[in-house]
Amino acid sequence: MSIAKYFIVFGILFVGTIVTYVVALTDLDGKFFAGANTLVALAIAFFKMTCVILFFMHVYWSSKLIKLSAVASFFWLAIMFAYTMQDYLTRGTGVFGQ
Amino acid sequence: MQTQEAIVQGLAAEPKLNYLTNGWTIRSWLLTKDHKRIAIMYLISVSVFFFIGGLYAGAIRLELLTPASDLLESGTYNKVFTQHGILMIFFFLIPSIPAILGNFLLPLMIGAKDLALPRINLLSLYIYWAGGALVLFALMQGGVDTGWTFYAPYSTTFSNTYVMLVGLGIFINGFSSILTGLNFIVSIHTMRAPGMTWFRLPLFVWAHYATSLVMVLGTPVIAITILLLALERVGKIGIFDPSIGGDPILFQHLFWFYSHPAVYIMILPGMGVISELISNFSRKKIFGYEFIAFSSIAIAVFGFLVWGHHMFVSGQSMYAGLVFSFLTMVVAVPSAIKVFNWTATLYKGSISFDTPMLYAIGFIGLFLVGGLTGLFLGAMGLTVHLTDTYFIVAHFHYVMVGGQVIAYLGGIHYWWPKMTGKMYSEFWGKISAMLIFVGFNLTFFPQFILGYMGMPRRYAAYPEELQVLNIFSTAGASVLGFGLLMPVVYLGHSLIFGKAAGDNPWMLPGLEWRTASPPPTENFEKMPVVTWEAYEFGEESGLDLEGARKRDAEATAAT
Amino acid sequence: MSTHSDTHEHHNTPGLQHQFEDMKQQEDSVSIGMWMFLVQEIMFFGGLFTVYLVFRSQYPMAFAAGSNHLDAFLGGLNTLVLIVSSLTMALTVYYAQKGNRNMQVILIVLTMIFGAAFLGVKAIEYTDKYNHGLVPVTGLNKKIKEEKTAGHSVGHSSEHEKPCYEVDHNAPVVEHPNPKGEFLWTDCSLAKLGLDTNTLTVAEKNGYFSNDKIDANKFRDKVRIFFWIYFVMTGLHALHMIIGLGLMAWLGWKAFRNTYSSEYYMPVEMSGLYWHFVDIVWIFLFPLLYLLGRHFLH
Repeated sequence: MSIAKYFIVFGILFVGTIVTYVVALTDLDGKFFAGANTLVALAIAFFKMTCVILFFMHVYWSSKLIKLSAVASFFWLAIMFAYTMQDYLTRGTGVFGQ
Repeated sequence: MQTQEAIVQGLAAEPKLNYLTNGWTIRSWLLTKDHKRIAIMYLISVSVFFFIGGLYAGAIRLELLTPASDLLESGTYNKVFTQHGILMIFFFLIPSIPAILGNFLLPLMIGAKDLALPRINLLSLYIYWAGGALVLFALMQGGVDTGWTFYAPYSTTFSNTYVMLVGLGIFINGFSSILTGLNFIVSIHTMRAPGMTWFRLPLFVWAHYATSLVMVLGTPVIAITILLLALERVGKIGIFDPSIGGDPILFQHLFWFYSHPAVYIMILPGMGVISELISNFSRKKIFGYEFIAFSSIAIAVFGFLVWGHHMFVSGQSMYAGLVFSFLTMVVAVPSAIKVFNWTATLYKGSISFDTPMLYAIGFIGLFLVGGLTGLFLGAMGLTVHLTDTYFIVAHFHYVMVGGQVIAYLGGIHYWWPKMTGKMYSEFWGKISAMLIFVGFNLTFFPQFILGYMGMPRRYAAYPEELQVLNIFSTAGASVLGFGLLMPVVYLGHSLIFGKAAGDNPWMLPGLEWRTASPPPTENFEKMPVVTWEAYEFGEESGLDLEGARKRDAEATAAT
Repeated sequence: MSTHSDTHEHHNTPGLQHQFEDMKQQEDSVSIGMWMFLVQEIMFFGGLFTVYLVFRSQYPMAFAAGSNHLDAFLGGLNTLVLIVSSLTMALTVYYAQKGNRNMQVILIVLTMIFGAAFLGVKAIEYTDKYNHGLVPVTGLNKKIKEEKTAGHSVGHSSEHEKPCYEVDHNAPVVEHPNPKGEFLWTDCSLAKLGLDTNTLTVAEKNGYFSNDKIDANKFRDKVRIFFWIYFVMTGLHALHMIIGLGLMAWLGWKAFRNTYSSEYYMPVEMSGLYWHFVDIVWIFLFPLLYLLGRHFLH
């Protein structure tokens, strides 16, 4: 990848940071739906992470195995989050023997 | 080829440098990059921890001879079973097959000179020593009494024992595990010899690949859990303390997220060994190679989805319990597939009841019992009655000892000639295998009944009417202990007085048998080019095994 | 014999280790190895993110209150600093592949400068927390004896008699005594906001109240959990930064010695992977710790 392209990715990351900061200060929860701020912040973070992984870490040009490793680790994180939260989100619903 | 001639003539290779004789200084061992030397150093270290863990087990069984807490008072008893668990799980079971047999055999089985990252391998050993030394030091200072599961809030708030030091030792040891797994994954991907495709790999290698995935993905979570535990002990913030807003079940979620896949780290390599033993000692291609290979991966993946089955009565939500219970039933399926395939391999095989095969057949029966009882425990209704009783203790000892330790011993006996170049006494091998089998069942089967009758685990005292079964269990433990000590004697004896083994004493087609015993440092004189399938006993293997066996039989008949 | 010719070739190829047949095998191996290490690091931090997730979902108001007392400007500045350092790191790899020694060294030094700047800003933030009694562990805050009255204090109303949620931001600020260096927090206005807008979670309905009234101490305990997670996550991240700086120092020295070229540049690439990973962790830490809940008070 050429130097110019590295700077373009950098620019995208820079802008993303500014956007996420500004949006955090505006109340989207009231305008749209509860949790909108969180969703936007996480979406921007995911987008920035993807740019770093694909271009700075060269995964775009790497073998399938490397791509799979990157995806798999997030899948495993998702398992940890989802299966832990499924306990917390269903607490207080249903009792043994009833 | 040199190996071919050796088989034909029944002679050992001419004396030349092997990995044991290539350098005699301590420095050449402690700074080695040779995976085989690292494996031998692991063998010695792991055996030491097994022995110490066994001493603790002896103390437990002695105390449980009588209903009263007379030999050990409760506080000490807590320390004894905790330390038995920690040493056995973290310092014996988890490293045993991967660090010893995996390290030694993986490069040989894939036709490589060494693992991909030999210095990382050595670092892994150093880290194991560091973690182990810390834990032993802590045990000598007074030890820890929280149970190997370190549940909060006892471990964070109330226990006055050396939780931090032992935790640090386990934390450090975790990195040994991670680096070994990392090394295996890389090596299996990049170091295979020409012609060694994925589906020509021995199932031992597939099993270690699956194990390594679990090691890399799971172990960091126990590391962070121990870190959180330590921080909580120091800072007293209350993340696991309900009175300040924390949740003790959060600790359990984080702990079991690793510790359940950890049991698969323990059993998968054992299953890999059994695949080798069953196929090779039936002299028959393994039945359903792809099924066994993929079921190893399936166990590794599904094993991450079931950790809540250790927490059914902890206070987690009922629906979470339902999900985990269902998935527990699912995760048993790949294991069952393996057992069916092994049995089908035996059918119409040319079975020879050598010592390793005795262990393999023992494994199938004992793992079956252990696995089935695991399913009983996965059913929510039954588990409420059986949780924290001796039923659980019996279940996990059936899979961990009846499964993993039996497989480990089978593997050690099978590959002993390759590792040392000597044959052990087959007579004593068979005797000790049978003693171990009998002793093991006598020790742990009564515990199923005890658990069903309600004897709680981790208690030094119990109701008088349960004493008879406890006496059986302790009697069995003495037989088991004796049986486990015997290999130390006859294997040690074989090192000095044993018959020279030759390259391929069992006359088998595997790649590890096509080089000298013990192998030279660079493993193969010439880089092998693989043109045969795995477990190929016919002519396609490139070796005339039938001819060699006939000649061997004639030679034995003549003497 | 083949072993002899292997050694001969190995001497010719700089950096090729003895167990590999050729450089491509070595590159593939270290690449997969490094990624496996990163997978493991992701799961390591993942445990902390799980703890954050659980507590944030249970006590969002306490977490929002804590978030609002972090300096988002400094946090954002740190994010930009790390992104610049990621750029310089990526360019270092670029120049290593080109074999340009001078540019490599310059860019490694720049990367280290930005890394150190990140740690410097973190030090400023941590000191600020220390001064204002926001370190969650008793004894690790600035110990203030009774007599002092000057300085800025956080979360205190000017009169102790008012309920914890009636914070008068215009009142003169006073420094409250903290002889044991404890965690100080009295502002529970967000609990009141949650109660009024009926957006409290089940855990919050139990966790913030005593006798059906908002309990300042209970709210403080939840905010303390937030600050603890903040310190542990950013602390562990900072530790990884320090290790990264050490790695860069070693790399810079080797680059200065002209070790890397188009044939042998993998150590630079692998170090780059580590550095980018540390950057990615911060890319998530920043919004999760500093920004969520900020809209409540603006």
